[in-house]
This record gives sequence, C-alpha cells and structure tokens, in this order.
Amino acid sequence: MSELAVRGVDEGLGARRALHRVELYRRDSIGSAYHVLTFESETAIEVGAGQFAMVRSEAWGAAPLLPRPMSLLTGGHRPSILIKVVGEGTRRMAVSSSGEPYLLLAPLGRTWAPPPSEQRCVLVAGGVGVAPLLFLAREMAKAGMPKPLVLYGGRTAADLPLSAELGAVSELRIATEDGSRGTKGRVTELLKGALDELGVHMQEGKVYTCGPHGMMAAVAAMCAGRVRCEVSLETPMGCGYGVCLGCPVARASGGFLYACTEGPCVDASVIDWGHGA
Amino acid sequence: MSVDLTVQVGGLTLRNPVLTASGTFGYALEYDDFFDVAQLGGICTKGLSLLPRAGNKPDRIAETAAGMLNAIGLANVGVEAFCTDKLPRLRARGVTVIANIFATTVEDFAALATRLDREEGVAALELNVSCPNVDKGGIQFGVDAAAAGRVTAAVRAATKLPVWVKMSPEAGDLAAVGRACEDAGADALTAINTIRGLSIDVRTWKPRIANRTGGLSGPALKPIALRMVWELSRAVKIPVIGIGGVTTAEDAIEFMLAGATAVQVGTASFVDPTAAKKVLDGLAAYCAERGIAARDLIGKLAS
Repeated sequence: MSELAVRGVDEGLGARRALHRVELYRRDSIGSAYHVLTFESETAIEVGAGQFAMVRSEAWGAAPLLPRPMSLLTGGHRPSILIKVVGEGTRRMAVSSSGEPYLLLAPLGRTWAPPPSEQRCVLVAGGVGVAPLLFLAREMAKAGMPKPLVLYGGRTAADLPLSAELGAVSELRIATEDGSRGTKGRVTELLKGALDELGVHMQEGKVYTCGPHGMMAAVAAMCAGRVRCEVSLETPMGCGYGVCLGCPVARASGGFLYACTEGPCVDASVIDWGHGA
Repeated sequence: MSVDLTVQVGGLTLRNPVLTASGTFGYALEYDDFFDVAQLGGICTKGLSLLPRAGNKPDRIAETAAGMLNAIGLANVGVEAFCTDKLPRLRARGVTVIANIFATTVEDFAALATRLDREEGVAALELNVSCPNVDKGGIQFGVDAAAAGRVTAAVRAATKLPVWVKMSPEAGDLAAVGRACEDAGADALTAINTIRGLSIDVRTWKPRIANRTGGLSGPALKPIALRMVWELSRAVKIPVIGIGGVTTAEDAIEFMLAGATAVQVGTASFVDPTAAKKVLDGLAAYCAERGIAARDLIGKLAS
C-alpha cells in the first residue's frame, strides 16, 4: 500500500489542527495570474495529499476579513500553496513579499483516499485544481507506485501552472480550449479517450479530480458506474474547521455535507451534481 | 497575579466575561485541537430547534468590507441529538454551556425550554428571537415588544434556568423590546444579533448568497452594536451581554465600558479559532495592569 497519510475528521485522529504563525519564504509568479507561495514554518506541519489550509496575512487587518481556503502543495517546514488571482485576498497574496507574516490554520479536511497500489490511476486537473493532484502524484512517486496518467486542462497555455512539475511524476496529457497547448478542447474529452484506452483495467483503478465545478460534474458523470471517482470540492468557506456552516454541498442522498470537515476529498457518488456546489 | 474576572449575569456567576456567540462556535467540541474552552466564561451553542434542520442552500456566506454576510438558516442537530451526543461531552470538559434555542412558535420555545430544563450541565438558555435568515419565527418575535415578551414569559414559565434573550438590531425601539423581556422575566439580554445586508455579484447580477439577504457580522458591525448596548443597558436593570464585532480585548473592554456585563466573540472565531482565548488573556492582562476587577469596567463610560 501507499505511504499516504490519511486522516479522518473524527476527533483524535491524525495530525492536530493548529494555527501556525509562518513567514512568506518566497513567491514565484507563474505568468500574470498564478503564484506559488512558499512559507517558512518553525514547526513542521504534517499534511496529507488533498488537505488544505486557511491562509491569511497578518498585514490584512480587518479587511479582507476571512482567511482563504487553499489546497496545500507541500507541508513540513516549507508549506506551499498555488493561488490564482480572483479576488481581494488572492490579489493581496499576489503582491506580498518574503518575510510577510501569515497565519496558516492547518492541516484541515480529509485527504484523498489512498490510491489502489497496483493499478493505474487517472488524475484529472483543471487550472488551480492541479494543486492537490500534484501533491498526490508526488506522494505516489515517493511510494514507488505506477505513474498516474494526468489529464490537465486549461483555457489557454497560460492556465496550466505547474505542468512541468506534474510531468516529472506522471504521464501528462494536456488540453486547452483555444488549442494553444496540447489537444484543442476540454479535458473531459481526454478522459473519454483515456477510459476507453485503459478499458477493463479501470475497473480496479481510480479517477481523482479537482477543478471547476462543471468540469468535476462532467468527470463524475463519465465515471459513474464505470470507475471509482474521487473529487476535491471547492466552495466558499468562512472558518475551514466546521463551525460556520458556510460550505454546504448537496448530497445525493439529500441534505448537505460540509466541504471543510467532510471533504474536501469525497467520493463523487456522494454528491448531488445537479444542485451545484 | 490574581485578577478577579468573575461577573454576575442575573443569578449566574461566570468565571469571566468572555463568551462565544451562537452560530460561530459550533457545539464547542470542535475546539479540542485549539484550546480548553472550559476556560471561557461560557459558550453559546449553535441555535437548537426541536427537530434537526439542514439549513439553507448554498451559497450561504459572502465576505464584505471588514465583515461578512451569512444566511445559514439555523442548520443544527436538533435538541435531542444535542442532549444525547454533545452535552455529556461538554459536561465532562467542565464547559459553561448556554443553550441557544430557536422555534417558530411560542409553544415550541416553551417545549425546548422544558426539554433542556431536565438536563444537567446547561447554565442558561438564550432565546434566539432575532435570526434574520429564516422564513418563520426568528426576527418577527424580536422586533415586536409584545411578541418578545410572550416568548420570554412562556420560556420563563417552563424552566428554572436563567433566561437570556438575544435582541435584534432591527427592532425599531430596542429599549421597549428589552423592557418587555425584562418584565416577562428575562435574566439578561444579549445585544445584538446580525443586521440584514445584501451583496451583489456584478458579473452575474445575482445576490452573492442564495437567501438574497444575510446577516452582517464582524468588525463592520461594532460601532452600531456598541451604541445599542450603551442605550439598552441604560434602559433596563438586567445585565446586557455585548456582541457585535468583538475581535480583541480592547473591543471587549469597550463593550463593558458601554454597559455590557459580559461579551460574546463571534465572527472573530472564524478568522482565528483561538480568538476568544486571546480576548480573555488580553482582558486579564488589562485588568491586572490597572489593578481592577473585570466587573469594575461595567458601564463606566466617562462623559
């Protein structure tokens, strides 16, 4: 089996969640919209693939008020995140400099379930959704597992951050909507081909996906009844640790689950994809 | 260093004036990783109803300038699950528990009070007559002095527990609502609940939360809350518990000077799960430095 650290949400299991005072160690720009923020933490933050942190700069004062949920790329003494500038919080992060004090509440949420050790896995990433999947692919490489097939989609060639890093630990296939890199079209078309190609083996395999809601819904629909599929949910969050109840996602069986504590990684069959996340 | 932080809220002595606000602290069991919540003056539970509630559809929250809107819709486990699953664990931890209750009828408020009256480990009830995010009940009781009085009287008759009533800032005459609750037997008033607001996504032209409007909380609310606590505490004889944007010890001190006997930390816990503990530590340091007891701050606003 793999060496992946899997942590449940139940009290007392796995690494303790804690508020870590860290400093920005370095910020690497990837094009104009994407940045990798790497922090320096005195204490090693024990993180499993798929877990996230609530991230907030101490320089923000009272606005922006809430910390931002960010999937972790790495943990330990150098935890890092991938951001895309979409609003005020990420805009501030995108201009912050080394030494800026941040607070990281981590590790949060459920990890990916361990991949089947002998079988080929397919990872389907869209844009910044690549972060938890790169973490997973790196862990699989460390554990000596078969290289996953990674299908990575973006609007243009500029929307494929960390593709080189991903290529180092996977067999990488790329799709862009404008055809500026890889196959022209959507990543879900690549998945259709890949599932046909891998055929019978996928009964034992698994698909992991993270990206825009519509993409994940399409991936989940394509996998339903054919291959196991796990998704990493993305929703607005207030607290990230289960008390504000601001991150409900409709369950297939009715009611809601909360992405922060019952996710972000959940089996795709649990979600009601018709209602939106 | 021994600082007397105790305060009297009606017949109830709190070990200190720092509580956490309903709806911002879960059932307090979520904090085991962060700090010992038994150190706090008390915790107000998520609003409990007779039956479990799933809550509103997403999106439920939206950030605003120095604040946030929420329309959670009182999602909660229901009073039975609270009494069975949550309360015994809170009791074992020695937590001072204020059960916040919500119902759509006067009868159901009384039924909740009767149910919780049987339980060991509930220090007080807080009546949510001011939730802005549900179709029925909630704020309708809290903006009408006669209705607020009826709910308070029915709960008062159903329990020996101290009864706190959580005030709506949308009451036209907050003092009148407060006095009606006082006359009906309330032991304390909590002020204030959130104020309804609206936030719009200019890309889609849609409200940013599914319920359209949501309650505004956070630092943006503080000056309004502070003014209301100041006015209300001079209009009633029972203690007022201040809430609205309390983030730091300085905020708590302001509320106490304005007339609050205790404070509740709300949205700040989303930003930092240890916020209430930091407010408490800061308040203790402030009192120690000045050689005063926490209660010496109450209502001492200088002119």
